[in-house]
Amino acid sequence: MMDPEKILSSSDLLAKIEAVCKRRFSAENDQNECYLYVIDSLKADNFKRLRAFRGKSKLNTFLYALINSLVIDFRRKQFGRRRIPAGVAKLGKWAEAVYRFVCWQKFSFDDAYDFLRIDGLYSGSYIEFIKEIESIKKAPCRENPAFQSIDETPESAFKNINPEGANPLEFLIQKIDRENRINAIKVIRETTVAFSEDDQLLVRLVYGSDLSVAAAARVIGLPAATAGKRLKNLLTKYREKLLAVGIREP
Amino acid sequence: MGKWMNKTIKPSVGTESEDHIPVEDLARLAEGGVDTAERRHLIGHLNRCQRCYQILQETLKDVSAETTLQPGSAPWWRTRMFYALAASILLVLLIGGPLAIKQWTHRPRVILASLDLDQGLKDILLENNALKWEKKERVSRLLTALQRRGLAVKDLNLVLLAKPYYQKKSLFGPEEVLHIRIDDKVAYLEVKEKD
Repeated sequence: MMDPEKILSSSDLLAKIEAVCKRRFSAENDQNECYLYVIDSLKADNFKRLRAFRGKSKLNTFLYALINSLVIDFRRKQFGRRRIPAGVAKLGKWAEAVYRFVCWQKFSFDDAYDFLRIDGLYSGSYIEFIKEIESIKKAPCRENPAFQSIDETPESAFKNINPEGANPLEFLIQKIDRENRINAIKVIRETTVAFSEDDQLLVRLVYGSDLSVAAAARVIGLPAATAGKRLKNLLTKYREKLLAVGIREP
Repeated sequence: MGKWMNKTIKPSVGTESEDHIPVEDLARLAEGGVDTAERRHLIGHLNRCQRCYQILQETLKDVSAETTLQPGSAPWWRTRMFYALAASILLVLLIGGPLAIKQWTHRPRVILASLDLDQGLKDILLENNALKWEKKERVSRLLTALQRRGLAVKDLNLVLLAKPYYQKKSLFGPEEVLHIRIDDKVAYLEVKEKD
Protein backbone atom coordinates (compact mmCIF):
# COMPACT_ATOMS: atom_id res chain seq x y z
CA MET A 1 0.00 0.00 0.00
CA MET A 2 1.27 3.45 -0.90
CA ASP A 3 2.35 5.96 1.70
CA PRO A 4 0.03 8.95 1.23
CA GLU A 5 2.42 11.30 3.01
CA LYS A 6 5.16 10.44 0.55
CA ILE A 7 2.83 10.85 -2.39
CA LEU A 8 1.64 14.23 -1.18
CA SER A 9 5.17 15.49 -0.69
CA SER A 10 6.32 14.29 -4.10
CA SER A 11 7.18 16.95 -6.62
CA ASP A 12 5.16 15.03 -9.21
CA LEU A 13 1.87 15.40 -7.35
CA LEU A 14 2.54 19.02 -6.44
CA ALA A 15 3.26 19.77 -10.08
CA LYS A 16 0.00 18.09 -11.09
CA ILE A 17 -2.00 20.17 -8.61
CA GLU A 18 -0.30 23.36 -9.75
CA ALA A 19 -0.93 22.58 -13.41
CA VAL A 20 -4.62 21.77 -12.90
CA CYS A 21 -5.21 24.91 -10.79
CA LYS A 22 -3.43 27.06 -13.36
CA ARG A 23 -5.54 25.64 -16.12
CA ARG A 24 -8.80 26.17 -14.28
CA PHE A 25 -8.22 29.70 -12.95
CA SER A 26 -6.90 32.72 -14.73
CA ALA A 27 -6.14 34.92 -11.68
CA GLU A 28 -2.89 34.09 -9.90
CA ASN A 29 -4.46 34.56 -6.49
CA ASP A 30 -7.16 31.99 -7.28
CA GLN A 31 -4.56 29.59 -8.62
CA ASN A 32 -2.66 29.81 -5.35
CA GLU A 33 -5.78 29.40 -3.22
CA CYS A 34 -6.84 26.44 -5.34
CA TYR A 35 -3.41 24.85 -4.86
CA LEU A 36 -3.57 25.24 -1.09
CA TYR A 37 -7.18 24.03 -0.92
CA VAL A 38 -6.35 20.85 -2.82
CA ILE A 39 -3.34 20.11 -0.63
CA ASP A 40 -5.29 20.75 2.58
CA SER A 41 -8.12 18.56 1.34
CA LEU A 42 -5.70 15.74 0.53
CA LYS A 43 -4.21 16.00 4.01
CA ALA A 44 -7.60 16.13 5.72
CA ASP A 45 -8.76 13.24 7.93
CA ASN A 46 -5.35 11.60 7.87
CA PHE A 47 -5.13 11.56 4.07
CA LYS A 48 -8.52 9.88 3.78
CA ARG A 49 -8.93 10.73 0.10
CA LEU A 50 -5.53 9.36 -0.87
CA ARG A 51 -6.04 6.28 1.30
CA ALA A 52 -9.23 5.57 -0.64
CA PHE A 53 -7.06 4.45 -3.55
CA ARG A 54 -7.51 0.69 -3.99
CA GLY A 55 -5.08 0.16 -6.82
CA LYS A 56 -7.83 -0.66 -9.31
CA SER A 57 -6.68 2.13 -11.65
CA LYS A 58 -3.27 3.63 -12.30
CA LEU A 59 -2.23 5.94 -9.48
CA ASN A 60 -1.57 8.72 -11.97
CA THR A 61 -5.10 8.65 -13.37
CA PHE A 62 -6.58 8.38 -9.90
CA LEU A 63 -4.63 11.44 -8.74
CA TYR A 64 -5.80 13.52 -11.68
CA ALA A 65 -9.41 12.49 -11.10
CA LEU A 66 -9.06 13.29 -7.39
CA ILE A 67 -7.47 16.68 -8.01
CA ASN A 68 -10.15 17.58 -10.54
CA SER A 69 -12.92 16.65 -8.13
CA LEU A 70 -11.33 18.82 -5.42
CA VAL A 71 -10.91 21.73 -7.82
CA ILE A 72 -14.64 21.56 -8.57
CA ASP A 73 -15.32 21.62 -4.81
CA PHE A 74 -12.98 24.58 -4.42
CA ARG A 75 -14.70 26.49 -7.19
CA ARG A 76 -18.08 25.98 -5.58
CA LYS A 77 -16.84 26.88 -2.10
CA GLN A 78 -14.96 29.90 -3.36
CA PHE A 79 -17.62 31.38 -5.58
CA GLY A 80 -20.77 29.46 -4.78
CA ARG A 81 -22.02 31.95 -2.22
CA ARG A 82 -22.19 34.74 -4.73
CA ARG A 83 -25.66 36.07 -5.10
CA ILE A 84 -27.37 37.54 -8.08
CA PRO A 85 -28.05 41.20 -7.29
CA ALA A 86 -31.59 41.84 -6.13
CA GLY A 87 -32.13 44.35 -8.93
CA VAL A 88 -31.45 41.61 -11.46
CA ALA A 89 -33.34 38.86 -9.62
CA LYS A 90 -36.53 40.91 -9.51
CA LEU A 91 -36.59 40.98 -13.33
CA GLY A 92 -37.13 37.24 -13.43
CA LYS A 93 -35.45 33.96 -14.33
CA TRP A 94 -34.39 35.17 -17.74
CA ALA A 95 -32.50 38.12 -16.21
CA GLU A 96 -30.80 35.87 -13.67
CA ALA A 97 -29.71 33.64 -16.52
CA VAL A 98 -28.33 36.61 -18.45
CA TYR A 99 -26.41 37.70 -15.37
CA ARG A 100 -24.95 34.21 -14.93
CA PHE A 101 -23.98 33.92 -18.58
CA VAL A 102 -22.38 37.33 -18.86
CA CYS A 103 -20.97 38.05 -15.40
CA TRP A 104 -20.05 34.61 -14.23
CA GLN A 105 -19.42 32.69 -17.39
CA LYS A 106 -18.04 35.59 -19.44
CA PHE A 107 -20.25 35.10 -22.47
CA SER A 108 -21.36 38.08 -24.50
CA PHE A 109 -24.90 39.50 -24.21
CA ASP A 110 -25.51 38.27 -27.76
CA ASP A 111 -24.57 34.74 -26.73
CA ALA A 112 -26.80 35.07 -23.67
CA TYR A 113 -29.76 36.00 -25.88
CA ASP A 114 -29.23 32.89 -27.99
CA PHE A 115 -28.91 30.68 -24.90
CA LEU A 116 -32.12 32.12 -23.44
CA ARG A 117 -33.98 31.42 -26.65
CA ILE A 118 -32.62 27.89 -26.79
CA ASP A 119 -33.58 27.23 -23.17
CA GLY A 120 -37.01 28.77 -23.69
CA LEU A 121 -36.41 31.45 -21.07
CA TYR A 122 -37.06 34.39 -23.36
CA SER A 123 -39.40 34.74 -26.29
CA GLY A 124 -39.01 38.41 -27.19
CA SER A 125 -37.10 39.80 -30.14
CA TYR A 126 -33.45 40.72 -30.04
CA ILE A 127 -34.34 44.42 -30.11
CA GLU A 128 -36.59 43.97 -27.06
CA PHE A 129 -33.85 42.01 -25.35
CA ILE A 130 -31.30 44.78 -25.91
CA LYS A 131 -33.70 47.26 -24.31
CA GLU A 132 -34.50 45.01 -21.37
CA ILE A 133 -30.93 44.21 -20.42
CA GLU A 134 -30.06 47.84 -19.78
CA SER A 135 -30.79 47.44 -16.07
CA ILE A 136 -28.76 44.20 -15.90
CA LYS A 137 -25.79 46.02 -17.37
CA LYS A 138 -25.92 48.38 -14.39
CA ALA A 139 -25.56 45.53 -11.90
CA PRO A 140 -22.29 45.43 -9.90
CA CYS A 141 -20.65 42.67 -11.88
CA ARG A 142 -20.19 44.77 -14.93
CA GLU A 143 -18.16 47.28 -12.94
CA ASN A 144 -15.98 44.56 -11.47
CA PRO A 145 -13.60 43.16 -14.05
CA ALA A 146 -12.13 40.74 -11.52
CA PHE A 147 -15.48 39.08 -11.05
CA GLN A 148 -14.99 35.34 -11.22
CA SER A 149 -16.89 32.62 -12.96
CA ILE A 150 -18.57 30.04 -10.78
CA ASP A 151 -19.54 27.98 -13.76
CA GLU A 152 -18.00 24.55 -13.74
CA THR A 153 -16.41 25.21 -17.08
CA PRO A 154 -13.94 28.09 -16.90
CA GLU A 155 -14.20 30.73 -19.54
CA SER A 156 -10.59 30.12 -20.51
CA ALA A 157 -11.60 26.70 -21.74
CA PHE A 158 -13.55 28.30 -24.55
CA LYS A 159 -10.77 30.43 -25.92
CA ASN A 160 -9.18 27.84 -28.18
CA ILE A 161 -12.09 27.39 -30.49
CA ASN A 162 -10.74 26.49 -33.85
CA PRO A 163 -13.35 27.29 -36.45
CA GLU A 164 -11.55 25.12 -38.97
CA GLY A 165 -11.04 22.38 -36.46
CA ALA A 166 -12.30 18.91 -35.83
CA ASN A 167 -15.78 19.75 -34.68
CA PRO A 168 -18.16 19.93 -37.63
CA LEU A 169 -21.21 20.62 -35.45
CA GLU A 170 -19.57 23.55 -33.67
CA PHE A 171 -18.34 24.82 -37.00
CA LEU A 172 -21.83 24.68 -38.46
CA ILE A 173 -23.41 26.47 -35.48
CA GLN A 174 -20.83 29.25 -35.71
CA LYS A 175 -21.44 29.79 -39.40
CA ILE A 176 -25.21 30.01 -39.54
CA ASP A 177 -27.34 33.01 -38.61
CA ARG A 178 -29.09 33.48 -35.27
CA GLU A 179 -32.51 32.01 -36.06
CA ASN A 180 -31.00 28.99 -37.76
CA ARG A 181 -28.54 28.60 -34.91
CA ILE A 182 -31.30 28.46 -32.32
CA ASN A 183 -33.16 25.89 -34.39
CA ALA A 184 -30.00 23.92 -35.08
CA ILE A 185 -29.13 23.71 -31.40
CA LYS A 186 -32.63 22.48 -30.57
CA VAL A 187 -32.36 19.84 -33.28
CA ILE A 188 -28.90 18.76 -32.09
CA ARG A 189 -30.14 18.49 -28.49
CA GLU A 190 -33.19 16.45 -29.44
CA THR A 191 -31.16 14.23 -31.73
CA THR A 192 -28.51 13.65 -29.06
CA VAL A 193 -30.90 12.58 -26.33
CA ALA A 194 -32.47 10.11 -28.74
CA PHE A 195 -29.13 8.31 -29.15
CA SER A 196 -28.15 5.31 -27.05
CA GLU A 197 -26.34 6.06 -23.77
CA ASP A 198 -22.99 5.04 -25.30
CA ASP A 199 -23.49 7.22 -28.35
CA GLN A 200 -24.58 10.19 -26.23
CA LEU A 201 -21.40 10.00 -24.20
CA LEU A 202 -19.28 9.50 -27.30
CA VAL A 203 -20.73 12.64 -28.88
CA ARG A 204 -20.41 14.60 -25.63
CA LEU A 205 -16.77 13.70 -25.21
CA VAL A 206 -15.72 14.25 -28.82
CA TYR A 207 -17.95 17.13 -29.93
CA GLY A 208 -18.88 18.68 -26.56
CA SER A 209 -15.47 18.47 -24.89
CA ASP A 210 -13.15 18.16 -27.90
CA LEU A 211 -11.50 15.01 -26.62
CA SER A 212 -9.80 12.69 -29.06
CA VAL A 213 -11.77 9.85 -30.58
CA ALA A 214 -9.23 7.44 -29.10
CA ALA A 215 -9.79 8.72 -25.54
CA ALA A 216 -13.57 8.68 -25.93
CA ALA A 217 -13.44 5.21 -27.47
CA ARG A 218 -11.54 3.92 -24.44
CA VAL A 219 -14.29 5.18 -22.14
CA ILE A 220 -17.02 3.63 -24.26
CA GLY A 221 -15.07 0.40 -24.56
CA LEU A 222 -14.62 0.41 -28.33
CA PRO A 223 -11.61 0.32 -30.65
CA ALA A 224 -10.82 3.83 -31.92
CA ALA A 225 -11.58 2.89 -35.53
CA THR A 226 -15.02 1.56 -34.57
CA ALA A 227 -15.76 4.68 -32.54
CA GLY A 228 -14.71 6.80 -35.52
CA LYS A 229 -17.14 4.94 -37.78
CA ARG A 230 -19.89 5.27 -35.21
CA LEU A 231 -19.29 9.01 -34.99
CA LYS A 232 -19.51 9.22 -38.75
CA ASN A 233 -22.93 7.55 -38.62
CA LEU A 234 -24.06 9.84 -35.83
CA LEU A 235 -22.98 12.89 -37.83
CA THR A 236 -25.05 11.58 -40.72
CA LYS A 237 -28.06 11.42 -38.39
CA TYR A 238 -27.48 15.00 -37.26
CA ARG A 239 -27.16 16.06 -40.85
CA GLU A 240 -30.43 14.37 -41.85
CA LYS A 241 -32.30 15.98 -38.96
CA LEU A 242 -30.83 19.40 -39.72
CA LEU A 243 -31.61 19.14 -43.40
CA ALA A 244 -35.15 18.09 -42.55
CA VAL A 245 -35.73 21.49 -40.91
CA GLY A 246 -33.97 23.31 -43.72
CA ILE A 247 -30.62 23.92 -42.03
CA ARG A 248 -27.53 23.48 -44.17
CA GLU A 249 -24.04 24.90 -44.25
CA PRO A 250 -24.13 28.40 -45.77
CA MET B 1 -13.66 23.44 -26.57
CA GLY B 2 -16.49 24.93 -28.57
CA LYS B 3 -18.90 26.94 -26.45
CA TRP B 4 -21.99 26.05 -28.47
CA MET B 5 -21.62 22.31 -28.53
CA ASN B 6 -20.38 22.24 -24.96
CA LYS B 7 -23.49 24.02 -23.79
CA THR B 8 -25.83 22.24 -26.17
CA ILE B 9 -25.05 18.67 -25.21
CA LYS B 10 -23.68 18.84 -21.68
CA PRO B 11 -25.22 16.40 -19.18
CA SER B 12 -28.64 17.38 -17.97
CA VAL B 13 -28.20 17.52 -14.18
CA GLY B 14 -26.10 20.15 -12.41
CA THR B 15 -23.41 19.57 -9.84
CA GLU B 16 -25.75 19.84 -6.89
CA SER B 17 -26.66 16.17 -6.85
CA GLU B 18 -25.09 14.21 -3.99
CA ASP B 19 -24.97 10.85 -5.73
CA HIS B 20 -21.67 10.65 -7.58
CA ILE B 21 -19.30 8.06 -9.03
CA PRO B 22 -16.30 7.30 -6.77
CA VAL B 23 -13.13 8.94 -8.05
CA GLU B 24 -11.29 5.68 -8.58
CA ASP B 25 -14.14 4.32 -10.70
CA LEU B 26 -13.92 7.42 -12.89
CA ALA B 27 -10.18 6.83 -13.19
CA ARG B 28 -10.80 3.19 -14.18
CA LEU B 29 -13.35 4.28 -16.73
CA ALA B 30 -10.90 6.83 -18.17
CA GLU B 31 -8.42 3.98 -18.60
CA GLY B 32 -11.03 1.69 -20.11
CA GLY B 33 -10.69 -0.72 -17.20
CA VAL B 34 -14.32 -1.57 -16.42
CA ASP B 35 -16.49 -4.47 -17.53
CA THR B 36 -19.53 -4.09 -19.76
CA ALA B 37 -22.22 -4.09 -17.07
CA GLU B 38 -20.38 -1.59 -14.90
CA ARG B 39 -19.58 0.59 -17.88
CA ARG B 40 -23.26 0.71 -18.82
CA HIS B 41 -24.14 1.84 -15.31
CA LEU B 42 -21.39 4.47 -15.20
CA ILE B 43 -22.18 5.85 -18.66
CA GLY B 44 -25.85 6.17 -17.73
CA HIS B 45 -24.82 8.29 -14.74
CA LEU B 46 -22.30 10.37 -16.71
CA ASN B 47 -24.92 11.37 -19.27
CA ARG B 48 -26.90 12.98 -16.48
CA CYS B 49 -24.36 14.25 -13.95
CA GLN B 50 -22.38 17.35 -14.83
CA ARG B 51 -19.98 16.96 -11.94
CA CYS B 52 -18.92 13.40 -12.73
CA TYR B 53 -18.80 14.16 -16.43
CA GLN B 54 -16.57 17.13 -15.79
CA ILE B 55 -14.16 15.17 -13.60
CA LEU B 56 -13.94 12.52 -16.31
CA GLN B 57 -13.35 14.93 -19.18
CA GLU B 58 -10.76 16.94 -17.26
CA THR B 59 -8.97 13.77 -16.19
CA LEU B 60 -8.89 12.50 -19.76
CA LYS B 61 -7.43 15.83 -20.88
CA ASP B 62 -4.84 15.89 -18.09
CA VAL B 63 -3.69 12.33 -18.69
CA SER B 64 -3.54 12.93 -22.42
CA ALA B 65 -1.59 16.19 -22.00
CA GLU B 66 0.87 14.52 -19.64
CA THR B 67 1.42 11.65 -22.05
CA THR B 68 2.38 14.04 -24.82
CA LEU B 69 4.82 15.80 -22.51
CA GLN B 70 6.58 12.68 -21.26
CA PRO B 71 10.27 12.17 -22.11
CA GLY B 72 9.29 9.42 -24.50
CA SER B 73 7.65 12.01 -26.67
CA ALA B 74 10.44 14.58 -26.46
CA PRO B 75 11.75 15.99 -29.74
CA TRP B 76 13.53 13.21 -31.61
CA TRP B 77 16.80 15.12 -31.83
CA ARG B 78 17.03 15.31 -28.05
CA THR B 79 16.92 11.60 -27.45
CA ARG B 80 19.83 9.28 -26.84
CA MET B 81 18.30 6.95 -29.33
CA PHE B 82 18.86 9.53 -32.01
CA TYR B 83 22.58 9.80 -31.34
CA ALA B 84 22.95 6.03 -31.22
CA LEU B 85 21.04 5.75 -34.47
CA ALA B 86 23.14 8.47 -36.10
CA ALA B 87 26.35 6.69 -35.10
CA SER B 88 25.01 3.40 -36.44
CA ILE B 89 24.06 4.96 -39.76
CA LEU B 90 27.49 6.52 -40.09
CA LEU B 91 29.13 3.17 -39.49
CA VAL B 92 26.88 1.44 -41.98
CA LEU B 93 27.63 4.08 -44.60
CA LEU B 94 31.36 3.84 -44.06
CA ILE B 95 31.41 0.08 -44.20
CA GLY B 96 28.86 -0.43 -46.93
CA GLY B 97 29.63 2.72 -48.94
CA PRO B 98 29.94 1.14 -52.39
CA LEU B 99 26.79 -0.88 -51.88
CA ALA B 100 24.93 2.17 -50.73
CA ILE B 101 26.02 4.15 -53.79
CA LYS B 102 24.93 1.33 -56.06
CA GLN B 103 21.60 1.14 -54.33
CA TRP B 104 21.21 4.90 -54.60
CA THR B 105 21.61 4.84 -58.35
CA HIS B 106 18.82 2.27 -58.60
CA ARG B 107 16.22 4.10 -56.60
CA PRO B 108 12.65 3.24 -57.45
CA ARG B 109 10.61 5.92 -59.11
CA VAL B 110 8.73 8.44 -57.04
CA ILE B 111 4.93 8.31 -57.17
CA LEU B 112 3.01 11.54 -56.83
CA ALA B 113 -0.76 11.57 -56.57
CA SER B 114 -3.71 13.58 -55.29
CA LEU B 115 -6.89 11.82 -54.27
CA ASP B 116 -10.24 13.17 -53.16
CA LEU B 117 -10.42 12.41 -49.46
CA ASP B 118 -13.33 9.98 -49.30
CA GLN B 119 -14.64 8.36 -46.15
CA GLY B 120 -12.53 5.24 -46.60
CA LEU B 121 -9.32 7.27 -46.55
CA LYS B 122 -10.64 9.45 -43.72
CA ASP B 123 -11.30 6.39 -41.57
CA ILE B 124 -7.69 5.33 -41.96
CA LEU B 125 -6.39 8.84 -41.21
CA LEU B 126 -8.65 9.27 -38.18
CA GLU B 127 -7.56 6.10 -36.41
CA ASN B 128 -5.18 8.08 -34.25
CA ASN B 129 -3.03 11.22 -34.25
CA ALA B 130 0.31 9.54 -34.95
CA LEU B 131 2.38 11.28 -37.59
CA LYS B 132 4.55 8.23 -38.10
CA TRP B 133 2.53 5.11 -38.75
CA GLU B 134 4.30 2.12 -37.36
CA LYS B 135 1.46 -0.39 -37.15
CA LYS B 136 1.76 -2.73 -40.09
CA GLU B 137 -2.02 -3.27 -40.20
CA ARG B 138 -2.68 0.44 -40.68
CA VAL B 139 0.07 0.83 -43.31
CA SER B 140 -1.30 -2.21 -45.09
CA ARG B 141 -4.85 -0.79 -45.00
CA LEU B 142 -3.59 2.41 -46.59
CA LEU B 143 -1.68 0.44 -49.24
CA THR B 144 -4.82 -1.50 -50.16
CA ALA B 145 -6.88 1.69 -50.23
CA LEU B 146 -4.37 3.38 -52.55
CA GLN B 147 -4.21 0.38 -54.85
CA ARG B 148 -8.01 0.30 -55.04
CA ARG B 149 -7.95 3.91 -56.09
CA GLY B 150 -5.61 3.11 -58.95
CA LEU B 151 -2.17 3.93 -57.59
CA ALA B 152 0.54 1.63 -58.93
CA VAL B 153 2.21 1.11 -55.58
CA LYS B 154 3.39 -2.38 -54.67
CA ASP B 155 4.63 -2.06 -51.17
CA LEU B 156 4.86 0.39 -48.26
CA ASN B 157 7.11 0.18 -45.24
CA LEU B 158 6.36 3.46 -43.58
CA VAL B 159 3.81 6.26 -43.69
CA LEU B 160 4.56 9.80 -42.58
CA LEU B 161 1.77 12.29 -42.14
CA ALA B 162 2.61 16.02 -42.46
CA LYS B 163 0.25 16.97 -39.63
CA PRO B 164 -2.44 15.21 -37.59
CA TYR B 165 -5.66 14.90 -39.50
CA TYR B 166 -8.93 16.00 -37.96
CA GLN B 167 -12.22 15.73 -39.69
CA LYS B 168 -13.24 19.11 -41.03
CA LYS B 169 -16.57 20.47 -42.04
CA SER B 170 -17.64 17.00 -42.93
CA LEU B 171 -21.26 17.48 -42.06
CA PHE B 172 -22.14 18.59 -45.55
CA GLY B 173 -19.59 16.78 -47.66
CA PRO B 174 -15.83 16.31 -48.07
CA GLU B 175 -13.86 19.12 -49.61
CA GLU B 176 -10.37 17.83 -49.01
CA VAL B 177 -7.62 16.28 -51.07
CA LEU B 178 -4.99 13.82 -49.96
CA HIS B 179 -1.60 14.62 -51.50
CA ILE B 180 0.63 11.58 -51.64
CA ARG B 181 4.30 11.18 -52.42
CA ILE B 182 5.71 7.67 -52.34
CA ASP B 183 9.44 7.35 -52.42
CA ASP B 184 11.29 4.13 -51.70
CA LYS B 185 8.33 2.48 -49.97
CA VAL B 186 7.77 5.49 -47.76
CA ALA B 187 4.49 7.36 -48.22
CA TYR B 188 4.36 11.05 -47.33
CA LEU B 189 0.79 12.24 -46.82
CA GLU B 190 -0.69 15.68 -46.55
CA VAL B 191 -4.34 16.65 -46.47
CA LYS B 192 -5.27 19.98 -48.01
CA GLU B 193 -8.57 21.64 -48.62
CA LYS B 194 -9.81 21.81 -52.18
CA ASP B 195 -9.43 25.21 -53.80
